[in-house]
Amino acid sequence: MNTIETAKLEEHMEGQTNETSNGYSRPTLSVSEENKNGTNKPKGLSNGLRKTAKKYPDYIQISMPAEARNKFPLEWWKTGIAFVYALFNLILTTVMITVVHERVPPKELSPPLPDKFFDYIDRVKWAFSVSEINGMILLGLWICQWLFLRYKSIVGRRFFFIIGTLYLYRCITMYVTTLPVPGMHFQCAPKLNGDSQAKVQRILRLISGGGLSITGSHILCGDFLFSGHTVVLTLVYLFIKEYSPRHFWWYHLICWLMSAAGIICILVAHEHYTVDVIIAYYITTRLFWWYHSMANEKTLKVSSQTNFLSRAWWYPIFYFFEKNVQGSVPCSFSWPISWPPSCFKSSCKKYSRVQKTGEDNEKST
Amino acid sequence: MKEVVLWSPEEVTGWLMENAVPEYCEPLRGFTGRDLIDLTEEDFKRTPLSRVSSDSGQRLLHMIETLKMAHHMEAHKNGHANGHIRGGGGENGFGGKAKLNGVPNGFKKEMIKIPMPEPERSQYPMEWGKTFLAFIYALSCFVFTTVTISVVHERVPPKEVQPPLPDAFFDRFDRVQWAFSICEINGMILVGLWFVQWLLLKYKSIISRRFFCIVGTLYLYRCITMYVTTLPVPGMHFKCSPKLFGDWESHLRRIMKLIAGGGLSITGSHNMCGDYLYSGHTVILTLTYLFIKECECLADQSFLTEGIIAVLGDSPRRLWWYHWLCWALSMVGMFCILLAHDHYTVDVVVAYYITTRLFWWYHTMANQQVLKEASQTNLLARVWWYKPFQYFEKNVQGIVPRSYHWPLPWPALRRGRPVKYSRLASDT
Repeated sequence: MNTIETAKLEEHMEGQTNETSNGYSRPTLSVSEENKNGTNKPKGLSNGLRKTAKKYPDYIQISMPAEARNKFPLEWWKTGIAFVYALFNLILTTVMITVVHERVPPKELSPPLPDKFFDYIDRVKWAFSVSEINGMILLGLWICQWLFLRYKSIVGRRFFFIIGTLYLYRCITMYVTTLPVPGMHFQCAPKLNGDSQAKVQRILRLISGGGLSITGSHILCGDFLFSGHTVVLTLVYLFIKEYSPRHFWWYHLICWLMSAAGIICILVAHEHYTVDVIIAYYITTRLFWWYHSMANEKTLKVSSQTNFLSRAWWYPIFYFFEKNVQGSVPCSFSWPISWPPSCFKSSCKKYSRVQKTGEDNEKST
Repeated sequence: MKEVVLWSPEEVTGWLMENAVPEYCEPLRGFTGRDLIDLTEEDFKRTPLSRVSSDSGQRLLHMIETLKMAHHMEAHKNGHANGHIRGGGGENGFGGKAKLNGVPNGFKKEMIKIPMPEPERSQYPMEWGKTFLAFIYALSCFVFTTVTISVVHERVPPKEVQPPLPDAFFDRFDRVQWAFSICEINGMILVGLWFVQWLLLKYKSIISRRFFCIVGTLYLYRCITMYVTTLPVPGMHFKCSPKLFGDWESHLRRIMKLIAGGGLSITGSHNMCGDYLYSGHTVILTLTYLFIKECECLADQSFLTEGIIAVLGDSPRRLWWYHWLCWALSMVGMFCILLAHDHYTVDVVVAYYITTRLFWWYHTMANQQVLKEASQTNLLARVWWYKPFQYFEKNVQGIVPRSYHWPLPWPALRRGRPVKYSRLASDT
């Protein structure tokens, strides 16, 4: 009875499509053959049509999931789009700073707001330079690291997108409410009151100086909520940590110290309110973790009822950038430019060995 | 039934008789349970068993296997899905491996126990204890916020010294006096609607736990941003209470008054200044709307009585008009906050951003099992509140279904709708 039942089962299975994972053979077999093979054919014995099996009795067809294409396609053009997006937002921020500058109340009229940190710690003049130097060093380190990454385009795309979005948010918060200057030491440039040409000059000056006070380009006031310096310090550190080998703990520690010192120096220099720094830190970290979690987790890349992360307004842009990236980008490094083989005798030898093996194979078949 | 291995010869004989194979009683006399199990085909080839057995013991061996299986399954309640027999009889030619769930072919009398995977506990355990903890957390955050407001009030610069900051919205829209009352009324309606909806939820404790966690954390963040930098009053119309300068008793009284009034101006409890960044009203308006929307039901047909079906429509899919009503209440409320010049625009923007992000973050983590474990790729786990989150949500398996039920038993309904219930009653 058992064998009769098994045979019935076979017929039933055959009725289904060829993609049944258990690959039951057709019921035209005799019952005894069935018994011999057992009912539980292992998973790999797919679509084991008896005809094929008879022709190649020792061949077992194991269906592999077809690797259609590269798991991490470079797609430099998308990185280009992200770069343009970031550039656009940077310019927008600069324009916004110029606009907001006109609305900042003079410090005589509107004294600095009470701030807990300022109450306890007095101003140190050179602290802001420390902060900006730290920022520049971190940025330099990050660029070096980025040059050596294998998947430059993907990581670069993410960096540009995140920093662009953060600066966009910054435009909004800067514009809607104008905070007064945090300290009486501020020397704000005089207001222009409608002189467009001078405004454009200021914008260009700010962009060319990278928005840093140390280059003398940032003489405008009003861009306090939230702090752009904190954004850059935090974001660069997060990227450095995320895309470097895990055992480089000393490297991570140094970068963390620089980043933290830079942020504290902003406050010590009384260049930003404490709330500016806190909000900047919060928004930067959340956006970074949100984006990367979505990028790493397959289930979070698709928009569904339960995937609330996809309700962010930038989800379509994210999906456009990340849809072809399969899984978490591995932390691998490679030389930024490929050396011509003639320069390295030893690598030439390597290639010739590979070539030789390939030629041998061709000769044999 | 004892384990087969422990059977005495009498029990073996009794079993043989029970199963209508008395011919084996004689040759297997003196066989204990252990000997019975150890029988193999070889034994049936030799005397004395070869004499009495017509099918070289196939049937008896089969029966012994089933017996072993039954005992094996009884010993291991937890999910041996196929009740496989250990060692022993798998290699015999009658398909020992692929035995279906415990029902052998050709057995009449033997009772086989089919082990069902027992759900050790519910997929959505209530755990009211955790909800209570979350409630305490939210309450303490509220109290802490109130204390902070009271402290910050002392530091607000007077409006003569520090005029209101320039604001893009205020430049375009003049102040409307009654707008803030609208905002607060909207807020109260939304909170009321959410409370009623919550009462009808089936998984009350889980959802309310989440609500308390999120609202508590938002108010905690609010304490921080309020405290570190004090914004001046947004408009000259503000009438701030006089400063107390260290009079603790009055401070305490103010705090009590604020808590009692729920922090609303409409109740006259909120006449302190300085709590601008960020806006608590926006937090409540946004958060209640988000919760209402998420817990919107695919209402259960059996739950709704005929009367309610008549009102809501035959196919209670999504109550889209309810959803839009709440959204409108929320939006109008937020707009009115600004219209009344009661908060800066940046307060409302930041509050909206932080509320939505925290809500979505928490719920995404709660819905995906894979995010409940900290790993290299799970960057959502790097928030500071991840450990408490794990504690609250670790026993919730999967997405909490939005099902509703009456919170209280309805004896009156029974009388009113005898047809439905009597059909059920007659079944049991």
